[in-house]
Amino acid sequence: MLEAHAMASGMGGMRAAGDLVARMEMARGMRIKEAKEYVASKLKVSLRDLTDPIVMGEVRDNLKLGLVAQMPDRPKGIEAKFRIAELLGIEINSVNRFKAKAGLSVR
Amino acid sequence: MKKEQQELLEAAKKSIISFDADKAKEIAKKGLALGITPAVIISEGFVPGITEVGDLFDRGQLFLPELILAAEAMKAGTSICEAALPKSELKEKKKVVIGTVEGDIHDIGKSIVVSFLMANGFEVYDIGRDAPIANFINKAREVNADVIGSSALLTTTMEGQKKIEEELKEAGLRKKVKTIVGGAPCSQGWAERIGADAYAENAVDAVIKIKALTGLS
Amino acid sequence: MAKILQRMGDGRMVEMTEAEVRKDIEEGTKDAAGRAKVPPLSEDEIKHISDIYTRPERIVSVEPGNEVVLSHDEGTVKINAGVCGGAGLGIDCGRMVASELYERALGADIIEYGHIDYSYKPIRPILADERILVERTLLVTTAPFLYGAMPNLGLYTQPEGPFPNPTELLNKGLIKEARESGEGMVEQAVNDIVYIASGIYEAGADAINLDTTGAFGDLDFVAALTATERLKKKYPDICIEMGMAGEFILGIHGAITYDGVRLAGLYSHQQVKLAEKAGVTIFGPVCNIVTSKSCAWNIARVITFTKACVKASKIPIHNNMGMGVGGIPLNDTPPVDAVTRASKAAVEICQLDGV
Repeated sequence: MLEAHAMASGMGGMRAAGDLVARMEMARGMRIKEAKEYVASKLKVSLRDLTDPIVMGEVRDNLKLGLVAQMPDRPKGIEAKFRIAELLGIEINSVNRFKAKAGLSVR
Repeated sequence: MKKEQQELLEAAKKSIISFDADKAKEIAKKGLALGITPAVIISEGFVPGITEVGDLFDRGQLFLPELILAAEAMKAGTSICEAALPKSELKEKKKVVIGTVEGDIHDIGKSIVVSFLMANGFEVYDIGRDAPIANFINKAREVNADVIGSSALLTTTMEGQKKIEEELKEAGLRKKVKTIVGGAPCSQGWAERIGADAYAENAVDAVIKIKALTGLS
Repeated sequence: MAKILQRMGDGRMVEMTEAEVRKDIEEGTKDAAGRAKVPPLSEDEIKHISDIYTRPERIVSVEPGNEVVLSHDEGTVKINAGVCGGAGLGIDCGRMVASELYERALGADIIEYGHIDYSYKPIRPILADERILVERTLLVTTAPFLYGAMPNLGLYTQPEGPFPNPTELLNKGLIKEARESGEGMVEQAVNDIVYIASGIYEAGADAINLDTTGAFGDLDFVAALTATERLKKKYPDICIEMGMAGEFILGIHGAITYDGVRLAGLYSHQQVKLAEKAGVTIFGPVCNIVTSKSCAWNIARVITFTKACVKASKIPIHNNMGMGVGGIPLNDTPPVDAVTRASKAAVEICQLDGV
């Protein structure tokens, strides 16, 4: 059923920009239109490109936002989230906690 | 029917909808004094009232405590009428054994069905939740039940409803007892698949179906 | 007249004419509008649903550019759970691997953890284990991470919990006692939810999900609202998603209020206003399937309720659309034709922020 929804109406998560748009809804309570516009402006892509895995694959790779296909030396997991937080200008809880626990910042 | 009698039946209905037990009793007495038969006061006065209460509950306009109060008003009014019925016309209350099947601790839907059945004049034996299959059978045998109702909220515990059918057959009770199933994962198709007599979509539907199963409609 | 294959609410395939499908849609919206006292769907919207539901393709979708965010209640648990209420796949891979599968193989926009029992109460004694798994998972995953469970106030009733069951007390005519018991349950549930959600948030989760809120009626809803309020005071940046249990709030207590508003009987366009007030970030309305009606009838009903909710809301709305919910048939493996139709119709007409 998940795949049926994903095919019908999903943004595609990390295949495209779905996770990033989701973050704006979650971090700032943005409605979908505002969240998409915000992310598109930060990534310097069009709204349509947000769900295009071809465009977004390159954008994510260039901006080091994490990829679905695993490649050596590319940011993954928490590493990618550091980049996402910086690019989107939002606080990501796991990033802040990582910094605190790793002694990278004073909370 | 005279206008005065019709107005009284309307007042009987309203007394249930406004959960006024004292009013229900008063109207029952007045109705009998006016020469309306007890059966008519019940079937055309009080029953439409409790039916409307059920509909209002189903729409979220009335709530469970109010349903209970309406049931009390119903009991107050109907007991006056039943006392006036000739013994030959007095019908024994239909008995329903109901529970949530073993392994399943969800019981809100089942409890609401219990409320509705009691409000509609059934004698209900609630055997609780996570009830072993044997308890359904044994209670049905003990009280000479007319209907066994089982609730299941998980696709895994639904199997218990199938076991009830099997155990009833083994106990030689299947032809004596009607069965009805309910719960989120259930459907008419499921009822047919396991051989249950009916499926209830919700509490209001449960009353309608059980009345049909027991010849009350 | 030509017959078209349609699904019923229980998943059965039937044949209907286009006129019959249209009539079902009209009746579905009328039913919902009457219940919730909201506007029925317009002629254009009815036609749009009819177009979607009478198409011959197996799979339909929104147009590129109109996609929305997908969140998945209890998603990762369902991969490795053996049972999970009937939806578990029993693939023994652990929740961390399941979350990686979700974000990389299944394209999830948001990944969610839950406990196998998926209620807050049972998590209390094992919170430390859940926290460790959350911490570790957050190191290897990139997608936003949600931790979910149900308030499930039913677990606070005897014999599993300490309180006499309010519904059983009500059936004995003990209204005052039922309400007192219910109020006790609320207090304990709020404590559990806040304690557990705090632990999970401090482990690094992006959001907490209060799923199936309202399953125990108004008592459940007030517990979720109160817990949300306390969590937002404690952690102003916490994201809280609240998913509901039904189209209206069952009145088990009947008189309990939040912010001066009685909760019993509230429909989703009214529920969301209180959720906003409490501090909820994303709201998930619910409309349960009626198995004896067609999916077309059901989706018209869903959209009527949900459209009003989206209009009333200032926060994102992620409509609940799953097994037996949101116009999707009641099956462990709902058919793709039914799922994609419901998804497209709801997203396009309701202008959803997510599903």
